[in-house]
Amino acid sequence: MQRNGPVALIFHSLVVAFMLAPMVVVCLVAFTPENTLTMPWNSLSLRWFEAVFEHADFMASFWNSVRLALLSATISTFLAVPAALAITRYEFRGRDALNALFLSPLIIPHLVLGVAFLRLFSLMGATGSFAWLVATHAIVVSPYTLRLILASLTSMDRNAENAARTLGAGEWTVFCRITMPLLLPGISGGWLLAFINSFDELTMSIFVTSPSTVTLPVRMYMYASESIDPMMAAVSALMIAVATVTMIVLDRMFGLDRLLVGKG
Amino acid sequence: MSFLSVRNVSKYYGPVAAVDSFGLDVEKGEFISLLGPSGCGKTTTLQMVAGLVRPSAGTIMMGERDITHLPPPQRELGVVFQSYALFPHMTVAENVSFGLEMRKVAKAERDRRVKDILALVHLLALADRYPREMSGGQRQRVAIARALVINPPVLLLDEPLSNLDAQLREEMQFELRRIQQVVGITTIMVTHDQSEALSISDRVVVMEQGRITQVDTPYELYERPRNPFISSFVGKSNFLAATAEHHAGGATISIGNTGITFQANDRPKGKHVSVFIRPEKLRLTAPSEGQIEGTVTSRYFMGNQWLVSAKTPAGTLSVAVQNFGAPPPPIGEKVGLVWRNDDCRVLAAGAAE
Ligand SMILES: Nc1ncnc2c1ncn2[C@@H]1O[C@H](COP(=O)(O)OP(=O)(O)OP(=O)(O)O)[C@@H](O)[C@H]1O
Ligand SMILES: [Mg+2]
Repeated sequence: MQRNGPVALIFHSLVVAFMLAPMVVVCLVAFTPENTLTMPWNSLSLRWFEAVFEHADFMASFWNSVRLALLSATISTFLAVPAALAITRYEFRGRDALNALFLSPLIIPHLVLGVAFLRLFSLMGATGSFAWLVATHAIVVSPYTLRLILASLTSMDRNAENAARTLGAGEWTVFCRITMPLLLPGISGGWLLAFINSFDELTMSIFVTSPSTVTLPVRMYMYASESIDPMMAAVSALMIAVATVTMIVLDRMFGLDRLLVGKG
Repeated sequence: MSFLSVRNVSKYYGPVAAVDSFGLDVEKGEFISLLGPSGCGKTTTLQMVAGLVRPSAGTIMMGERDITHLPPPQRELGVVFQSYALFPHMTVAENVSFGLEMRKVAKAERDRRVKDILALVHLLALADRYPREMSGGQRQRVAIARALVINPPVLLLDEPLSNLDAQLREEMQFELRRIQQVVGITTIMVTHDQSEALSISDRVVVMEQGRITQVDTPYELYERPRNPFISSFVGKSNFLAATAEHHAGGATISIGNTGITFQANDRPKGKHVSVFIRPEKLRLTAPSEGQIEGTVTSRYFMGNQWLVSAKTPAGTLSVAVQNFGAPPPPIGEKVGLVWRNDDCRVLAAGAAE
């Protein structure tokens, strides 16, 4: 690998600083004892975190988002495993179309998806249902699960499965004992990415949530459009913490660069 | 009725034949080597026998039973893959034990057999390691143990020793042969190492571009290769351009540029032929005493022998000289070369010169 020159080093540092600075500022502001968005120069306080935990709407939205992310990540994983197996292992008509269909939510703007789903749900009379919200999120996060599972499938040694077959294992045993364990890094990596993406999805959710299914990002958006106080900073800090912890777990378990830069 | 019979089996990938009309009868307990250059279809052939590649044509019989379309789990063959194909998420012991589990062998019995087989391949100490924590040679031995432990009637080995160092390789060759004979297990081994094929097989099958070109015992194969390609692929060879006068009892062969003629029993087609002779069947003498005179152009010391090249009117000839007594003459020296005409094989002039 080539060493960076001093100019490149300064440039990279500036880019990183530019990306990190807002998050650092938000996290710091969250500890302010004041009533306005100010830096806590003189003293630190947890009052805005307390405020979040005592704010019933925020807590309801938080749990709503957690449930939504858990369910949609899991559902999309269950869909992506067979889809990835079909795409990598079988020649059939419409294979490329299936692949493209699964990846399309990455390309279509969430705003468009949101409007489309809103229209669809009002036609169906399903507006405001939590189940349909889960369905929309499962669709939006499925590119992540599919990508990661595809990556681990293509890098997998098919002869391991063949070896199991010659040793007397039937197809179902091969799948449970060999294929699934070897896919596990891809599956759990995809699941976690899907979870994070569902958890902070805002654009589409604005259209498809109802007062009873407001997610945390939507709640924050609504709150922030009325008033800006340090509670928003506290919520943001908490979300950053959740995302960071998941990323660290992901990295510890599988190595982030392997998952995201990945082969295939 | 032979034990395992492969009849006219072909495999096409698109219009290209990876294996073309492969036919072979294997007796019970026989050790067969499939020998051939890279890409000649050895792995494909083995995988068709294993049931992992579906033949485009032909049948495979095990005794009276047609197994051509039988799925691999029902064939109960032991297979060692070219890439080892170990289960990366299982320890060595778990890898080896997998086949026994599939056969519902009781836990205690399983542990005992795994232990025995790991001792056999000198891996007992590494039983709890994962494949990624082992060297290529060690993985290869796990793969062998995993295939052997189920006591299969037929063992299919795809270059099982390719990653071992010379010494361990030799040890494992004879070990494989020993196990094979003790257990009486019918074995087909793929290799592209000719000395390995010669040293441990009962019969060697030579393949070129998907086709069998010769099936013989190692000695016959080495002494009577059927074409120039085989003679240079199996062992080293000298080729001399020659012409043949065919007559009732055989042919009179004249080696080009030398005036040497002799009677041959081989009956190659055509007038232009190749005479081939192994380096170890040539001997160096004083310049005037040989059938042909030459000048030493190179001399390599190989330990047990010297490989000397001499430029002669018939072309450059390699001579293997046992490392016995004084070293052979140095480069530039005039020498005579002697051989017995009976040791010469005459083949139709081919491309592999
Ligand atoms: N799945 C496949 N699709 C298309 N062609 C294939 C496939 N598998 C093998 N081939 C071709 O068939 C031929 C024989 O391959 P095979 O793997 O049997 O060779 P091999 O003798 O085992 O070679 P090596 O000594 O390098 O392992 C090769 O030319 C290869 O390119
Ligand atoms: Mg091969």
